[in-house]
Amino acid sequence: MEKQSYQYIENPLQVTRREFITIGGIVVAFLAIPTVWITLVTSSSSRYLQARTKGLYQDDTKAAVRVSHGNKSVARYYKEFGGTPLGQISEELLHTKYINRTKVLS
Amino acid sequence: MNVTAKTYQKGEIPGVIAINATVCKGCDACKRHCPTGAITGMFGTTHRIDVDLCLSCGQCLINCPFGAPYETSDTVDEVIAKLKDRNNTVVGIIAPAVRVAIGEDFGLPAGSLVTGKLYGSMKKAGFEILDNNFTADLTIMEEGTEFITRARHALFGEKSEHGGEIGPLPQFTSCCPAWVRFVETRYPTLIPHLSSAKSPQQMAGTVAKTYGTNVWKKSPESIYTVGIMPCTAKKLEASRPEFNAAYKYNKKNGRGLTNKPYPDVDTVLTTRDLSRLFKKLKIDLAQEEEVAGGSLLADYTGAGTIFGNTGGVMEAALRTAYAVLTGSELKPLEFKPVRGLQGMKSASVTLKDAKYNKEVTVKVAVVHNMAENIQPVVNEVLAGRSPYHFIEVMNCPGGCINGGGQPVCSSGSSWISAIRPWFAWK
Ligand code: SF4
Ligand code: SF4
Ligand code: SF4
Repeated sequence: MEKQSYQYIENPLQVTRREFITIGGIVVAFLAIPTVWITLVTSSSSRYLQARTKGLYQDDTKAAVRVSHGNKSVARYYKEFGGTPLGQISEELLHTKYINRTKVLS
Repeated sequence: MNVTAKTYQKGEIPGVIAINATVCKGCDACKRHCPTGAITGMFGTTHRIDVDLCLSCGQCLINCPFGAPYETSDTVDEVIAKLKDRNNTVVGIIAPAVRVAIGEDFGLPAGSLVTGKLYGSMKKAGFEILDNNFTADLTIMEEGTEFITRARHALFGEKSEHGGEIGPLPQFTSCCPAWVRFVETRYPTLIPHLSSAKSPQQMAGTVAKTYGTNVWKKSPESIYTVGIMPCTAKKLEASRPEFNAAYKYNKKNGRGLTNKPYPDVDTVLTTRDLSRLFKKLKIDLAQEEEVAGGSLLADYTGAGTIFGNTGGVMEAALRTAYAVLTGSELKPLEFKPVRGLQGMKSASVTLKDAKYNKEVTVKVAVVHNMAENIQPVVNEVLAGRSPYHFIEVMNCPGGCINGGGQPVCSSGSSWISAIRPWFAWK
């Protein structure tokens, strides 16, 4: 034992230089697979998602009025100008039509 | 500009997102975030976006570890010029998700709710404020009423008041332009299922240039509307040529001064764009005073603000639909089953329709992260065996709070910030 502790160990892992390069290459290739990185960091990105989500729910909780039909300014908009939901002015200004875009695709 | 683009109308931005070929490493990471498979290119080679398939959602942009995708439309300097020109009233339309993300660009913790500081910074820059949450409430009034009409038609055979056609169930939400374009380019047979209500952004532009002329006492031509959005697809939405309803209305009613058509929303800035604008004008949002919105068009409710979260539109719509149908408020107001990050959420509410004195069970579903979750829902509706009455769809994972226009590096909504320390040379 005593003797060994003074020995210079050139290759403690018992791998040749060629094997070391191969292993290194495999590790690099493994890390190059995007899904590996993604799994490694999804926890951190979902932390940001959750923080922002919480921020908006807080904005709701602290609001004095929490239902759209209770928005006095929206009621005033309809009374002074817009008429009723789905009424004539609403259809003209607040509703739209969509376009079939597949015809041009083919 | 791509001259071969076929799925765009004249005047529309043909694809808001492109990939910078000299930066792209071909690592394929973006592909799994793309809802339509619009990104082509072999592993290791430069990737390209097929603009006809692309929805301009920007998910590839916020998730690329090398920052290769970029926005083809940047109007920060144009907006600054408009702000400096005193003849204009520049109206900033602030989307819900912006107020919990923009702080990240000014060193505040993720998720900080900075509505007051954001108003303060906008006013300092010269904007009038139209809170998009106001029009989110307006959207609920329109889309919720539309849903009740459709449901009563399907369940009780009720006829339309104005003799118009009533769309089928399930009704899909229409606030997300990436989802709308997805339907338009792939499943046009589903178009009647989309709510005809415009998105809050487009309602805001129209209201600003019609009713807003009374609020700000300005002519419609001098009002310049800027969508401030967490979203790159909103840039494409605003460029749709049919969105000049305010111009048509004003002309018909003799309220206009000119015959030159103007769009409802003149331009769109993403959350990132707005941060750049503030920085160019030397405004530090973190240090700004908190101020109030300043007009009735900035008044909003808790229901309007949760639009930015997945499930938020549905929750807001249920609160109002419940009250309209039963005559009493939903208790508790928090509707937990539609919250959270599961790919697909569903719930049902049994209530009594006071008008018909009958019990009905309303079944709703909420989908986000279209890249992973949309196909089964679409297939069910196409096959005519969807059990739901009302379905909310948002393209981005988590909803607009994680939109393609939100802050990237500082926030870590992309995974680059977590990976960066691994690159010792950076
Ligand atoms: S994630 Fe970025 S670098 Fe990788 S292939 Fe996509 S665009 Fe190119
Ligand atoms: S913007 Fe969205 S739809 Fe377009 S290529 Fe990127 S991820 Fe795909
Ligand atoms: S979910 Fe929101 S941010 Fe994402 S594309 Fe749709 S509207 Fe834009």
